Amino acid sequence: MRSPGDPMVPDDVAWSAVSPRLALGRRIVACGSMLVVAIAVVVVAGAVGSPIAFLAALVPLALAGWVWWLIGRQVAAIAYAERADDLLVRRGVMFRSLAVVPYGRMQFVDVEAGPLDRALGIARVRLHTAAARIDASIPGLAPDQAATLRDRLARRGEARLAGL
Amino acid sequence: MAAALVVVGQQRGGDLAQNGLPSRTEALITLAAIAAIALLAGVYALLAWRRARYRVDADVLQLRTGVLFRQERQAPLDRLQAVDVVRPLLARFFGLAELSLEVAGSGDSSIRLSLLREADAQALRSTLLARAAGLAYEGDVAPEAPEHEVLMVPVARTVESLLRNSSTLVGLLLLIGVVVAAVVLGSPAPLVGLLPIGFTVVSVVWTRFTGGFGFRVATSPDGVRLHHGLLTTRSQTVPPGRVQAVRMRQPLLWRGRDWWRVEVNVAGYGGGRRPDEGVVEENLLLTVGTRAEALMVVGLALPELAAAADIGVDVVAAGLTGRGSQGGFTSSPRGARWLDPIGWRRHGVLVTRTVLLARRGVLVRELDLVPHARTQSLALLQGPLQRRLGLASFAVQSTRGPVRPSVQHLPADVAATLLHQQAERAMSARADSTHDGRWMMGR
Repeated sequence: MRSPGDPMVPDDVAWSAVSPRLALGRRIVACGSMLVVAIAVVVVAGAVGSPIAFLAALVPLALAGWVWWLIGRQVAAIAYAERADDLLVRRGVMFRSLAVVPYGRMQFVDVEAGPLDRALGIARVRLHTAAARIDASIPGLAPDQAATLRDRLARRGEARLAGL
Repeated sequence: MAAALVVVGQQRGGDLAQNGLPSRTEALITLAAIAAIALLAGVYALLAWRRARYRVDADVLQLRTGVLFRQERQAPLDRLQAVDVVRPLLARFFGLAELSLEVAGSGDSSIRLSLLREADAQALRSTLLARAAGLAYEGDVAPEAPEHEVLMVPVARTVESLLRNSSTLVGLLLLIGVVVAAVVLGSPAPLVGLLPIGFTVVSVVWTRFTGGFGFRVATSPDGVRLHHGLLTTRSQTVPPGRVQAVRMRQPLLWRGRDWWRVEVNVAGYGGGRRPDEGVVEENLLLTVGTRAEALMVVGLALPELAAAADIGVDVVAAGLTGRGSQGGFTSSPRGARWLDPIGWRRHGVLVTRTVLLARRGVLVRELDLVPHARTQSLALLQGPLQRRLGLASFAVQSTRGPVRPSVQHLPADVAATLLHQQAERAMSARADSTHDGRWMMGR
């Protein structure tokens, strides 16, 4: 996946990956719903009594398998790097993006965790500048890691913040 | 009110079906109920208006509002982004005005002082701007900053610019076609069918006409002043260094006249709206102007541009109408023609000492200018086809507004270099930016 000198993945910085537990969380949500569909198909097929209808359940199962594999790749592609003056966040396998958020532009930093995230022990750090859209967010950090990252970013932001 | 009417109407409708015509007493009761609701709403509005209090300190404006739910807002004046005095038609009859203050925040963060006496609104605006600027003055009320008018858009040009608009033209053609059809068929049916479309076109054109009527641009020590409006008039003051990004735009049919429209992002403007909604009246710096006028207005909005004098006329011309590497722009390579066969030569970017210029568009030409000191964050985007062709798109995140600067389909390595260099430039430009906060301090 990574080729040397790939401009979307600068290799002169130390990239930190996110927790594989994020992949587990996303798989539970995505594949779980596929499984529900598959079970529903099986129930209907049982009621109809046609053996061909049982085969239809393979479609959501195959989809679940593909999504399982895809989520693994997507989560592996998420990484962030703290440089001296800015934070880099990259993500995406097919549609890739690389964001640069200068510390001096950060207005505030959020740490968020939903119920499933908390059960899995992960949290999301969200960075806000004065821009209209959310600039970058890093999902799948361990809660204490997220908290220290937030504090570090906030401290650097404060030291460099210069109006809008 | 409307909801109450609907409810009453529905109930009456049901009764009508059962009992035939309503009796006179019933009609009277309904009318009385409506009048009572209107009276109540009026009294509530009056109470709310009488309860509203504001106070200006050395560095904050405090506003207290609300009858049942109280709200207290504080606006730090050193973060003041813009001050508008708005006079709705009805308020103009009574010599009243609304003052609205933008302090950068998320969502609808503007603070509205609704209905002051016109003279009070003017005086308050001067005071706020003077305090925000850190200007020392004598007495309680700051003197009104002298204003120097530099440009006025003639009404005839506003009208012509609205006619030279593809949707207006399509509407007119439709109208002619339908009238012909109606005459030929000898029945008014086609005209009725056109009514909704006609209504939409007319209302859009009317809104633009009244909003941009008598558009005047002036300069003052407080910043750029804009005055416009036919029914509701609006005077905007944008202090120096508050413009986050500028876009010059030329629709297809303005090409013959070489007219341009100038749109800006100012933190807080367009706050109640979603970021992807179209251009709002307050985000317009010039409704329609010649190229020279548009460039002058851009110079007023971005003083750093004029101060550094680092952009030549030929460079701007290349940005406005040029293609390829004309004027020193870095543009899309040949490979990009697979993704954008018409416009690939127009995609381009140029970095000067103070601003980044991004151009695009063959039919509708656009040139975005972002000062390095106002760059928020940056991003590179690459889809699967772009990856195969060795391309990437570069985007600058700006505050909410019509200008969303980006450059499509640059060579991937060029885009990556630009990303990192731009982050550094943004950093150093901010470090020695003199336009932040109080702009009159130390002068």
